[in-house]
Amino acid sequence: MSSSADPSILVENLVKSYDGRKNAVDGLSFSVDRGEIYGLLGKNGAGKSTTIKVLTTLVPPTSGRVSISGIDVVKKPNLIRKIIGVVQQEEAFDFTTVEQNFKIYGMLWEVPRETVKARTEELIELFNLTEVRRKRVFELSGGQKKRLQVAREFIHDMEVLFLDEPTVGMDPIMRRSVLDFISNKAKNGLTILFTTQILEEADYICRRVGIIDRGKLVAEGSSDELKNRYGASKKLSVRTSRDLSESEISEFNGLMISIEDVDDFSVGRNEIWAMGKQMNRVMNEVMRKMAAMSIDVEQVNMDTPSLDDVFLDVVKR
Amino acid sequence: MRIPAFIRLTIRNVRVNTDPGTMLFMLGLPALYLVVLGIMFQGIIPSIDINSSSISYTKFLAPGIVGMQAFTAGNIGGGMLWSDRRWGMFEQLLVGPFRRSEYLLGIMVVSIIFSLGGSAIMIALAISISGSFAFTAVSAGYLILILVAGTIFFSCLFLIISIVVRTMQAYNTITIFLFFTLDFASTAFYPLTSKTPLALRAVSDINPLSYVANVVRDAMVYGVSAQTGYQTLIVLLLMFVFFGISLYLYRNVQTGL
Repeated sequence: MSSSADPSILVENLVKSYDGRKNAVDGLSFSVDRGEIYGLLGKNGAGKSTTIKVLTTLVPPTSGRVSISGIDVVKKPNLIRKIIGVVQQEEAFDFTTVEQNFKIYGMLWEVPRETVKARTEELIELFNLTEVRRKRVFELSGGQKKRLQVAREFIHDMEVLFLDEPTVGMDPIMRRSVLDFISNKAKNGLTILFTTQILEEADYICRRVGIIDRGKLVAEGSSDELKNRYGASKKLSVRTSRDLSESEISEFNGLMISIEDVDDFSVGRNEIWAMGKQMNRVMNEVMRKMAAMSIDVEQVNMDTPSLDDVFLDVVKR
Repeated sequence: MRIPAFIRLTIRNVRVNTDPGTMLFMLGLPALYLVVLGIMFQGIIPSIDINSSSISYTKFLAPGIVGMQAFTAGNIGGGMLWSDRRWGMFEQLLVGPFRRSEYLLGIMVVSIIFSLGGSAIMIALAISISGSFAFTAVSAGYLILILVAGTIFFSCLFLIISIVVRTMQAYNTITIFLFFTLDFASTAFYPLTSKTPLALRAVSDINPLSYVANVVRDAMVYGVSAQTGYQTLIVLLLMFVFFGISLYLYRNVQTGL
């Protein structure tokens, strides 16, 4: 069985091939600590869903070692399924009413009836399903269905929760509320593996993120670490107080070409922008040049990278 | 007290399928056949004479309708795999505290419950329309055996369809075709006589529902004979063959469509 020293999720050199030729997951390794929310990011077809399918015992790995709470997924799948919760990316419902969905799910998970009753009330309120509680699932909107799908999973206790794009179709207020709810659950010890296409969400909720591409882990760390490591490309834009002459434009073009750290730039009539890594140095050079040419600055902007930038940077490599 | 996983799945299957639409299909339609067709045709067909025995049309029809319960329940049970795959619940249940075998058992058990429950209701309705039936311990045993075997056979048939078919249109077309072909080209509604068209007789002869209906009719009306045992054996054999096929296909079925 598990010990507190084991990582909650351990994936070592996981390989999964469906046809024996191309690996959907290709030597993936990562671990998730207890009570951690770990974001698994990747393009469509990167191997996220296959990884989750292996972790949740739906498909066996081709090779590698995968364990949850110290329990080997291949050797003891039945035990694994008793300690995990899964919110699939696709809809998954019994076409009964919202309330009955909670009741049936609680019964399936052997949750005591009184607990089901209390949790149903709590979850219906928290996930803003009160008005539709007696409606049948097919009458709900996409966002309401997704809320029900996420809420229903919390009817039972679990050690590890897999959330595959859980906020699709939710409005921003509900999305934030659901993320906060999930975050609180993690603070109480629940381990969560979270996939999303909305990288702001991962930035907001995950302690660490792993970016996978073509079945391999290509970057891993906290959001800030990744931004520093991969997303260091910043965009500097400087607006001048007057239009630049042709010779001034030419001078600034020459300056930009001479600075190694500039990856891309443009010099217009009254705006200069540049992208690169050491943009503070570039800004200093531009300011010095402008002062020398008696050009006043109207506005300076330096965009900090987002997780989106990191993601794009990493998967483009 | 812990409830075994397959029983929890059976309870879920019962709850999910006790919606008005399913109930109408399972009980309303056969009851309508029994009451409307039985009473209307009784005026046209005063009696059915087979093997020097003469019975009223409603008495003939009632066992056919009871036999149809095995088919209807098998359709509902086996079809659950298709709808669970279509609506994501198959995958959701398989990542829960259940094994594939328990899911399958849950489907079989709910089919049998629906079949036996529906049959009991139809028998009660038939008794209220056409009077009592001559049950003995042996005939009751045959009745239960053929309903269980028939239900498992039809559940397996629809499980196979659920596994093989990928689109809703194809699934609906096949089930509707089977529903009409098996129901109306069987001995459930009318006897096979020398006047029966050859094509209809041929279809009816290879139609498993005919065998189920015949055994139910023997158990309820004519009495059990060697022929009853022979026809029961055929249904049991079909049940084992189709169970094997469906099990083979089910082991590797993908969770989604």
